[in-house]
Amino acid sequence: MPADPAERTWPSPLLPASSPTWLEERRKAGLEAYEREPVPTWRRSGFWTTSLRDLDLDALEPRRYEPVGSVAELPAKVRDALDEEPGALIVQRGASTVHLHVDPELVEQGVVVMPLEQAAVEHEDLVREWYMRRLSEDEGKFPAASAAFWTGGVFIHVPAGVRVEKPIQSVYAIDEPGIAQYAHTLAVVGENADCAIREYCLGGDFDGQALHAGAFELYARPGARAKVAHFQDWGRGSVHDISTKRVEIARDAFVSWVPIHLGGRLTKQTLDIVTAEQGSDMRHTGMYFTERDEHLDLFTSDRHEAGHTTGDTVWKGALTGASRASYEGLIEIVQHAQESHTYLQTHQMLLSQKAKGDAIPSLIVKTDNVSASHGGTVGELDEEQIFYMMTRGISRAEAVRTLVEGYFEEVVQRLDDPGLEQLVRRRIGEKLLAAEDQVAEFIGQRAEAAQEA
Amino acid sequence: MSLEIQNLHVRVEEREILRGLDLTVRKGETHALMGPNGSGKSTLANTIMGNPNYELTEGRIVLDGEEITEADPDERARAGVFMAFQYPATIPGVSVANFLRMAVNARREEPIKVKDFGAMLKENMDLLRIDREFTSRYLNEGFSGGEKKRAEILQLAMLRPEIAVLDETDSGLDIDALRIVSDGVNALRGPDMGTLIITHYTRILEYVKPDFVHIMLDGRIVREGGSELAGELEEKGYDFIREEVAAANAG
Repeated sequence: MPADPAERTWPSPLLPASSPTWLEERRKAGLEAYEREPVPTWRRSGFWTTSLRDLDLDALEPRRYEPVGSVAELPAKVRDALDEEPGALIVQRGASTVHLHVDPELVEQGVVVMPLEQAAVEHEDLVREWYMRRLSEDEGKFPAASAAFWTGGVFIHVPAGVRVEKPIQSVYAIDEPGIAQYAHTLAVVGENADCAIREYCLGGDFDGQALHAGAFELYARPGARAKVAHFQDWGRGSVHDISTKRVEIARDAFVSWVPIHLGGRLTKQTLDIVTAEQGSDMRHTGMYFTERDEHLDLFTSDRHEAGHTTGDTVWKGALTGASRASYEGLIEIVQHAQESHTYLQTHQMLLSQKAKGDAIPSLIVKTDNVSASHGGTVGELDEEQIFYMMTRGISRAEAVRTLVEGYFEEVVQRLDDPGLEQLVRRRIGEKLLAAEDQVAEFIGQRAEAAQEA
Repeated sequence: MSLEIQNLHVRVEEREILRGLDLTVRKGETHALMGPNGSGKSTLANTIMGNPNYELTEGRIVLDGEEITEADPDERARAGVFMAFQYPATIPGVSVANFLRMAVNARREEPIKVKDFGAMLKENMDLLRIDREFTSRYLNEGFSGGEKKRAEILQLAMLRPEIAVLDETDSGLDIDALRIVSDGVNALRGPDMGTLIITHYTRILEYVKPDFVHIMLDGRIVREGGSELAGELEEKGYDFIREEVAAANAG
């Protein structure tokens, strides 16, 4: 296996022996784009840069793993994160699908959860109809890489009219250094179907680098209702996550999308949500909590392609250590999309002197008769709130912890999923505990500075 | 138990606001501290609680014989001092019930049992005529002025401090809300609590009768008396008192 995927012989030995021709063509287009495109450096406004110069791409490669018979055999981090009784669970470790379980009840309802590789053969028409409908290999080096090199993958189909109570869970895990993981999830939620989908990106606390180049696409068909959560916690390993996630919402459908970013050495993601037809409605609520030397660069868009569509976006972040986090959120209302109503707000909280961040909302409106507004804050913990809590006997440390937890609570509650909510709260608590001394020091310094000013 | 304030000098942003203030509040007593805007009333309340934005340059604060001048706000609170804020902070994401539980537990060795807390909360909410759903809202988020003040008095009721400072609790309340808040304060008053009501107006004193009235001007207490002093102030106004004090000083 050559180190650089671009140099490997086509088709790759890791790819399935039999793939439909149209998919092979698409992979080839991906490979061409991959070879053509340089490794990008993302710059914005002259001062924000996301660079991959520290990533030794040539040293990374896809790695195969043997399937496991039960959840008990999965890495601890994966076991801990998962719900005990999912409707379906599919786990990809490195380049391989290592575990698949679908509740018989779901099978009976016609729900399909399987590796995308397998679905491309077994449900060829369906996959062909939706595969990369809103994604393109021409969006840059890494979208091209995942289009060309993805293995395993996840396919989810909830047929029209089917209501699935238990969550459908997919996992991408990297628990060793040296891995390049190319991921692709395709989910189609049929007309008037109703389901909850959670995707986890989980990494171990290893020494060394790894890459996750991911693609996620979800299509909510007319009248569908979907709760979608992304839970990213790459751990202390040096995982670089460069992904594109896109959600399309058809007529009268509703998607609540909650991406949670709790860790990763470098994250560069584009998250787009498109209300594509009349009456479509979305709620997009995200959070990030960066620490140590992590670097996070998020771009989200709320795109209205038809009239009478609604959106509501809230993103909240907190930064400790010497971490960097940039959030840019765009509202875009195309021509003729009249009577669209949407709102975007973004908040960022600095909890350390060395952390740097920014949060920028922006707006492109090409029609009239719409309401679109945005607001943003970049701030620090409010000394007045801390004082208030202390006058109730609460210690400074507990006040700070409570305020940060409270700040994120709006996002956490929108998960509307007790198990996952608890996991997120626990992780926020752990991060705050790890950063307690520096946060206290920071707040103390600020209080002194305020006094002197 | 008593709270003694001795020769208090306090600066805010380089300006001396309190200029030698003395005041003693004992358990079981109700004091009213009255003064016009800018006389230093809120500065006193904040200094009693140890707000770091207020710089104490001289004087002492003694609680039950122990000096707390340098103590952190949470230590003062755990020692039994409480302040109802004129403008309480909003605590997003933290429900009234959770906040109260944290505050109650902060003064206890062992956390309060869920059942006991529930009973205590219900009793005090009934006292203040507060709806059940109120406790699941985030503290002060989207609260009306009256709701904020009621939330402050609910905390007072739950925490049962030895010394309570009510900083302009009456301001911005309509007559019904004022009555509810006053009824609450009256129900909580007693031999176990000393109360310092800080106010601009005499209105609340019609409902909560003070044992002592202190009038404050320019960072000092200039007149002291019984509840009749409030009536005199109502009649004559702060300007009259100011002139009277100026005349006495000149003489």
